[in-house]
Parts: sequence; C-alpha cells; structure tokens
Amino acid sequence: MHKVLAVIRREFVERVRQKWFWVLALLGPVILGVIFYLPSLLARGGGVKHIVVVDATTSAFGAQITERLSRAESVFVAVRVPASPGVVDSLTQEVDAKRLDGFLLVSDVTVDSGKAEYRASNVSSFVATGTLQQALRELVSTTRLEREGVNPAVVARARVPIALDTKKIAGGKTTGESGAQSFTLAYFMAFILYFAILVYGINVMSSVLEEKTSRIVEVLVSSLRPFQLMLGKVLGVGAVSIFQFGIWALSGRLLVSQRSRLLGAGGMGDGGQVWQLPHISAETLLLFIGCFICGFLLYSAMFAAVGAMSSNEQEARQAQQPVMYLVMIAFFSMFAMVNDPGSTLSVTLSLIPFTAPIAMPVRWAAGNLPAGQIALSFAFMLLAIVAVTWIASRIYRVGILMTGKRPSVKELVRWVRAA
Amino acid sequence: MTTPVLVVDRVTKRFSGHTAVDALSMTVPPGVIYGLLGPNGAGKSTTIRMIMGIYVPDDGAVRLLGDGRGGADLSERIGYLPEERGLYPKMKVLDVLLFLAEMKGMDRRTARPKALGWLERLGLSDWRLRKVNELSKGMQQKVQFISTIMHDPDLVVMDEPFSGLDPVNAQVLKETLFDLRARGKTILLSTHIMEQAEKICDSICIIARGRKLVDGTLTEVKRAHGGKHVLVGFDGARGDADRIFADRRLVAKHDLAALYAELELAPNADAQEILKDLVSSGARLSRFELAEPSLNKIFIDLVGPEAATAAAQPGTEVARA
Repeated sequence: MHKVLAVIRREFVERVRQKWFWVLALLGPVILGVIFYLPSLLARGGGVKHIVVVDATTSAFGAQITERLSRAESVFVAVRVPASPGVVDSLTQEVDAKRLDGFLLVSDVTVDSGKAEYRASNVSSFVATGTLQQALRELVSTTRLEREGVNPAVVARARVPIALDTKKIAGGKTTGESGAQSFTLAYFMAFILYFAILVYGINVMSSVLEEKTSRIVEVLVSSLRPFQLMLGKVLGVGAVSIFQFGIWALSGRLLVSQRSRLLGAGGMGDGGQVWQLPHISAETLLLFIGCFICGFLLYSAMFAAVGAMSSNEQEARQAQQPVMYLVMIAFFSMFAMVNDPGSTLSVTLSLIPFTAPIAMPVRWAAGNLPAGQIALSFAFMLLAIVAVTWIASRIYRVGILMTGKRPSVKELVRWVRAA
Repeated sequence: MTTPVLVVDRVTKRFSGHTAVDALSMTVPPGVIYGLLGPNGAGKSTTIRMIMGIYVPDDGAVRLLGDGRGGADLSERIGYLPEERGLYPKMKVLDVLLFLAEMKGMDRRTARPKALGWLERLGLSDWRLRKVNELSKGMQQKVQFISTIMHDPDLVVMDEPFSGLDPVNAQVLKETLFDLRARGKTILLSTHIMEQAEKICDSICIIARGRKLVDGTLTEVKRAHGGKHVLVGFDGARGDADRIFADRRLVAKHDLAALYAELELAPNADAQEILKDLVSSGARLSRFELAEPSLNKIFIDLVGPEAATAAAQPGTEVARA
C-alpha cells in the first residue's frame, strides 16, 4: 500500500508541477466563460452606432422615437433632424465617409402603415435592427392607441412584458429549472465529462508509455506488482483531475458571481436569457462526480492497456482510436438524448457502462432519469470497471515489458488468458 | 555451508517457440561477487529477469534469500540495475531517487540523507535539483546505480553494469562493488567482457544458448578447464632443456624460443619435477611460473563454436542476453 501511495504521489506531484496543468486550470474557466458569454459578446458586435433620425412627421413621433432610441445608449446615439430636400443625399455621403453609421426615415405613414426605413453601412447587426424594430413597434402601437383615445396609463399597463417561464417537472416535483437551463446543464456536463475523461485517460496512457519507453518500468516491476503500479497511476492521475475540477469549480463560481458585472459592462441586461444559469443541486453534483469517477476509472484502465501495448507515441495514437470512439459515441448522442431523454436509445445508452457516464447526466439534466435506472446504471458501471480493470491489468502486465511490434488481437487475448 | 543467497533451480523460459533459457541451475553463496557470463543472446538478461520476478519461468523455480516469495516482495533487500537503463527524464534527480527508494520500501525521510550522501560520493551533488534529461548519459548511469544500492540491499543484481561507463566511472563502480562485498553483501552481475569478470568475480557461471556450460569459483573453473601452463625464462645457460621438454610424460606441448619457453603440462605431470630436472641439468632460470589460462581463453574455448550462432529470436518477445 505504501508503494501504491508513492506512485500516486509521484503522478500527482509531477503532473501538478507541469506548466500544462496550470495552463489548463486557468484556461478552462476562461474558455468556459467565453462559451458562456460569447452570444452576448457577439450580439454586442460593433459597439455604439451613431445614427440620425430623419423626421418627416407632423406629430411628436420623430422626437419620441429619437428619445427612445437614445435610451438604449449602448446601441445607439440618435440625433433628430427635420426632413428637408437633400438631407437624405448628404446623410448618405456621411455614411459613406464613415462619419455616420446610418439613418432612420420616419414619416406620418410610419404610424399609419407601420413602415419605416433604416439605411446604414451595416444592416446585419441583430442588436441594432432588433432594437429599432422593438422601439418602432412599441411607439407605433402606443401612438395608435392614444390616437383612438385610449388612456396612456392603460396603454402602459397593457405593455407589461410577458415572461413565459418554463419549469421542468422531475420526479413528480416542479423544479426551478427552465428549458434553457436544462439544455445548458446537459450540454456542459456532457462536454466536461467527455473532455475530462479523454484528457485524463490519455494522460494515464502517456504515463504508462513514458515508463515503458524509458525502460524504468523494469525497476518498478521488480519492486511492486504491475497491478499496484497501474492502480497507483490511475488513482494519481484521477487525483490530479479532481484537483483540476476543484480549481475550475472555484473559478467558475467566481465567474458566475461576477456575471452581472461582466454582462453589465456589455450593456446587455437581458443577455442572460440566452444562457440561463442552471441551478446545480447537490444531487446533480453528486451524479456528475459519480459519473466522472466511474467513467474515468473505466476509460483510464483501457488507456493504460493501450499505453502498455504500444512502443511509441505513434503506435499509441493508433491503438487509442477504438477507445476514443466509445467516448465520442456517448458525447455525440447527447443531442438526440436531450430531445427525447425517454427514448429507447437514450435509456440503452445510459445503461451501457461505456456510454453511461455521459448519457446519464444528460438524461438527468433533461429531466428523465428514474432512480431505479440510476442504480442499475451505476451497478453496471461498477461491474464493468472490475471486468475492464481485470482485463486491462493483464494486458498491462505483459505489455509493459514487451518491445517490438504491436500485438495482434489474437496475441492480446492470449495475454489476458495467460496465468 | 551457509544458506545460498540465490538458488536458480532448473529454470526454463520459452518465447514463442524459441527457448531462451533451458533448465538452467546456479547457486550464489552469500558475500561473493558472482558473474553470469555468456555471449550476446545467451539468455543472461532473461535469467536475471526471472530471478527478479519480472518474467515467470515456464519451468523450474527461483529462491531468493532463502525465501519462497518473489522479487517484488523482497525488493527492500534486493537492488536491481536492468540492462536497459532508464529514469524519468523530466523529474529532478533527487526526486527520482526518493521515489525509487520508496519503491524499495524506504520512507522519504530516511531516503533523503542517503540519496544526498551518495550523490556527494559520486560527485553529483550539484546536479540534485536538475532534471534527469539535463544530465549526461554517464551521470544518469550513476544516478541509476545509486538507486540500485541506496537502500543497502543484501543482494545486488546488475545486468551489464559496466557497459557504457568510462574507465574512471568503471573504477568507481568496481570499488563500490568491492566495498559492498566487504560488508557481506552479495552481488550478481552479468557481463560478456571476460577481462572484467576475471578481475572482479569470485564465482562465475558461463552460459550459452540458454544452457549452462560451467560454473563454480573462478579458481575451480580455471583448474578444470584449459590445462596447466608453465612459463620458463633462461638466464643464459639452458642446460638440458631440449631433452626435458621433449619428454611426453612431463610436457604435452611446448613452444620454445632462445631464452623463453611456454609449456603445457602433460596430464598428471608435476611442474616441480621439470624445475628439478632443469636445475640439475645446469640450466640457469630467470623465471619459472605456473600460469593459469585466462578466463577469456576458457570462455572462447567453451563458447567459441556457439558464440557466433546465437539462436534466432522470433516473436515480439525479444530476449536480450
């Protein structure tokens, strides 16, 4: 046991000392943050637009729309000019000279028929056109209603925005989660699991390969059993991954707690609607960690065997493909599972030990995972871990001392069966 | 006789049809330097790996330190230097040594002063915090050597310990081995350089193509093989030398120069009789020496025809000797 601990310690310390660990530790949240805030960052695109409202109305409509647009100060700086002959031409030249971003043409017709015109150098900005449309729509309907003699106070009351709140029903209870949150949660859990299982599984593989190619393994195997060595390696790298998660969780929390500030700086008060933060319950966290640990143990044992049967990096890269496909199947079927978490495919995938670590959290997040299936799935995974580790350790035991060409499947079977 | 440190009892190892070691037996008594000698491909490394429990013999058994357990269980008492040297290239020298000491059952606190002491002794103190891959090959070998003996094992097993060492470092290694032996430790080493074995080993076992050709103490082996030689030098007068050397009861073969002769004694002949005859016939001698054949000569005589034809080694499992 002392020796296994020493192997764990070495794997942990040497890995945490490496630069790439900290790069990943610090870059992880940044990448996550970028994915998280990208929509709002992109939507903001181009910054504040300077526009002119060409007012051909005979009412106060032109002034009102200008005032309204100026309220969206992160999008527009609007100035009203009365319509006069030649003004459109000179404004067009201004836009051309890039002294102006665009101009909005409104007239009395706007209120009657709802028609207005926006001419600008860039008309593909969602935010700009969206803001324009919304401002116009609201002002036009308000004006029309008032024209019909409706009390402005009534109009204001009628304008109270509708919020469609979607609530997920899970286990007979209504949770506080929205549909968007469910998807976000499923996506992030699946992505992180996929990524972490691959990265750390391959870490185990290269660690095995390093000992094999440097031939230090012979000294090690004369001092402790190959199984102890493999166990120490898997647990050591596993500890590194848990530590990495710890760092990510901490910085993730920080990022989330500061999100209003970050979003506020972008002036997108409602940017959060795109990526609503899911509520992460203790059960979710537990399931996630359970799935990661099972998935990692299952896959890292396979990766250890792959490392042991290869003699160099290139060989290992080839030999790892079948293992990688298994993880990829689980990850990419996520999209089908989110749509229909109760389908036969989803249920099957969440019960097969090799896809379960990713499929289960997805179904959980999507709100369809009976407790019985969780228990069954974990039972299957544990059985698979025992079986796969047994097979892998036998391949490992023979493989780490082999040199020369990569063994064929037939030879592998013989290694496993050898006493 | 004391309990042997190592008993190899008719071990056999086959690799996909090819027999690397064939019913090999040997016994290593305590407190000696034991040489496992043989040409390339003879099965030396395979034998050593079976001794260390890295390979499981297909037949036969290995008993280490009078204990039925394998090498991994006895690692506290055994030091092993494999033929193919390797360390963790990206680890610091001291960290590697501490880790390997832990593998041998030491705890880090006990290991640290020992590691530092050995680094000092072998002139590597300044390198202790450098990464292994910054060291020269010779320095890496020394680090590996330290890792082999740092935990003060009772049995040290070294596969070709001298290969790749410069004369200075070879001397350091030799002195360290003598020092270990003086402290009652047992050393088993393999080599194919006979001059080295002759200078260092107390006992030897010569193998070829996986089979034992001869074993025993160096003196026994020399006595048993290659016959007795006498070197004679004349100081002017040769007396009746020609007649005496021609006596087939005494001399089997002779090689005579003006003032010098090398004789191979006839079986059961006594060199003293030749000396007596020479002196009484009036010869004046500057030299009369009973010489043993060199280990190299015995080795070539024994292995010669086979050495050039080491058995082919098919399959993925390559047995190095």
